[in-house]
Amino acid sequence: MQVSGYGSVLSYTTLTVAPEGFKPPLHIAVVELPGGARIFCHGKETGALKIGRRVAIEQVDGIFYFASLGLADRLTLFWKRRGAAPERTKDAVKSAVKRFFSTYKNGGTVPSTENGTQASEEEKALPPAEKR
Amino acid sequence: MRDVWIAAAAMTRFGRRSETLADLMAEAALEALREADCQPDTLVVTAMAPEEFVGEGNFASHIGTYLGLSHVPAIRVETATSSGAAALYAGFALIASGFHQRVLVVGGEKMTHVSTPRVSEIISRVIDPHERSYGATMPALAAMVARSALARGLIAETDMACVAVKNHANGARNPYAHFQRPVTLEEVMSSRLIADPLRLQHCCPISDGAAAVLLTSEPTGLKLAGMGQGTDYLAVRYRKSLTGFRATQDAAKAAFAMAGFGPERVQVAEIHDAFAPFEILSLEDIGLFQRGKATKAAQNGELTLEGRLPVNPSGGLKARGHALAATGLAQVVELVWQLTGRAVGRQVNARVGLAHSIGGMATNNWVTLVEQVA
Repeated sequence: MQVSGYGSVLSYTTLTVAPEGFKPPLHIAVVELPGGARIFCHGKETGALKIGRRVAIEQVDGIFYFASLGLADRLTLFWKRRGAAPERTKDAVKSAVKRFFSTYKNGGTVPSTENGTQASEEEKALPPAEKR
Repeated sequence: MRDVWIAAAAMTRFGRRSETLADLMAEAALEALREADCQPDTLVVTAMAPEEFVGEGNFASHIGTYLGLSHVPAIRVETATSSGAAALYAGFALIASGFHQRVLVVGGEKMTHVSTPRVSEIISRVIDPHERSYGATMPALAAMVARSALARGLIAETDMACVAVKNHANGARNPYAHFQRPVTLEEVMSSRLIADPLRLQHCCPISDGAAAVLLTSEPTGLKLAGMGQGTDYLAVRYRKSLTGFRATQDAAKAAFAMAGFGPERVQVAEIHDAFAPFEILSLEDIGLFQRGKATKAAQNGELTLEGRLPVNPSGGLKARGHALAATGLAQVVELVWQLTGRAVGRQVNARVGLAHSIGGMATNNWVTLVEQVA
C-alpha cells in the first residue's frame, strides 16, 4: 500500500520502556487516513500531538511515519478539506465558538481542540475484509 | 440447561513463589477438593504460556497426573489473560449441558523466575503481529486507550492514581495478595513513566500463583448465576472505539441476560485492573455506571470497602497480583469468600458479586455473576 499525505491522530504514546529490538523513547501513533483506514506509525516525538490533530504521513521502506504539522499547515489543510463551503464555514464557526468559551471558562488558557476535524469514532469504517 | 453451583474455591498467595507451577496449582486444587470433600469427574486446566515460562506442554495431562487424577478427563483452555474465566466457562458448560456433575477448574502461572524483558516479550504475543512490529506492548496499547479516555474527559490522571491507592489499601488487608503494603497518591503519580501517560504504579505486577474452583450440579447455595463472553478484533486499530471495550460490553450483556437480572443487583465486583484506568472504563462498559460517571465514583470513595460498590476488595490485579491464567479464577475465589463471610480483614456485605476478566488488549473478555441464593 502506497501512502503519503495526511491523517488525523486517533491516539499516541511514548514508550519509556521499549520492547526488544527498539530503543526508548519509542513514539507510536495510530493515525486515521481520510478513507477510514487506520495505521500505526512511528515518529520523532509525541509532545506536539493531540487526539484529532492532522499529521503528515509518510511511508519509507515499508514503515509508516507521522510528522507534526505547524498551525499554518493545519489551517490550510482544514480549508482544503472535501466538503461544501457552507459546511466548512459552519465547522469553523463551531470551532471558534468552542475555543472562545473554553478560553472564557479556563480563564485565559486555550485548550487545543481540533474537534471540528474529528469524526465520531462510531462512524469509522471497518476493515474491508471483515464480515459482521 | 441445568443450574451450576460452586462447591469450593481456593487459591495460593500470589507473588514471587519458589514452588514449581505444578506445585502451586496442586496447592490450590487440593485445597478446593479438601473443602468440598469429593473427587471431580472432569478437570479443566488453564495456564497461559506454560511451554514458554516453565517448558511444560500437554498441560492438562501434566496437571491431571500431578494431582493424582490421571484417570479423570482433562482439557486445557486458553484465552490469553482471561484464561481463568474461560476455563470456568468451560466447566460451567460441561455441567449445564449435563455431560458432567463435578468439574474442578484450576489455573496457574509462574513467571517471576524469568527476566522481565522476556516475560514482556512472551506476554506481548497476545498482540496483533503488525502492531507488535511497531513496538506495541501491552502498556503501550493501554496507554493509547488511557490517552483517548483522558482527552474525552472520561478519566482524570488523579482518578487513575486513586484506583491504584485504593487497591493497594485493600491488598494490605488480604493475606493472599502479592503486595500487602499501601501506596500514597504521591508515590503513584511520581513513579516512573512506562508508556505515557501510564506510570509504573498504574500497571499491575507479574506474579506467580494458582487458583481453583469446584463446580457442581448439586445446589450448594452459591450459584454461578451467569457467564458471558465478548470478543473483538485482535488489532486495536480496527476497533470502533478506543475508550471502551466492546468485548466487555457484550460479555456483560450476555452474563446479565443469563442471570436474569441487571447491574443494579451487583454489590461487590472484581474488575480487571491490569492498568488502573481500565477499572474506571470497565465499570462503565459493564453498565455499573453510566459513561463518564465512574471516574467521579473513583474520586469520592464509592468504590472502597466502605463505599456503595466495593471494587476489587482483594486488591485487584494491581495489589493482589496477576498470575495470568490464575487471575480470572482468583477473582471468583474472592467473590466466593466475600459472599460466604470468609474474606478476613476485608469483608463486605454482599449476596451478588461480579467478576470481569480481560483477555489480551480486550479481544476476549468475560463477565461472571455469582449469587448467594441460600
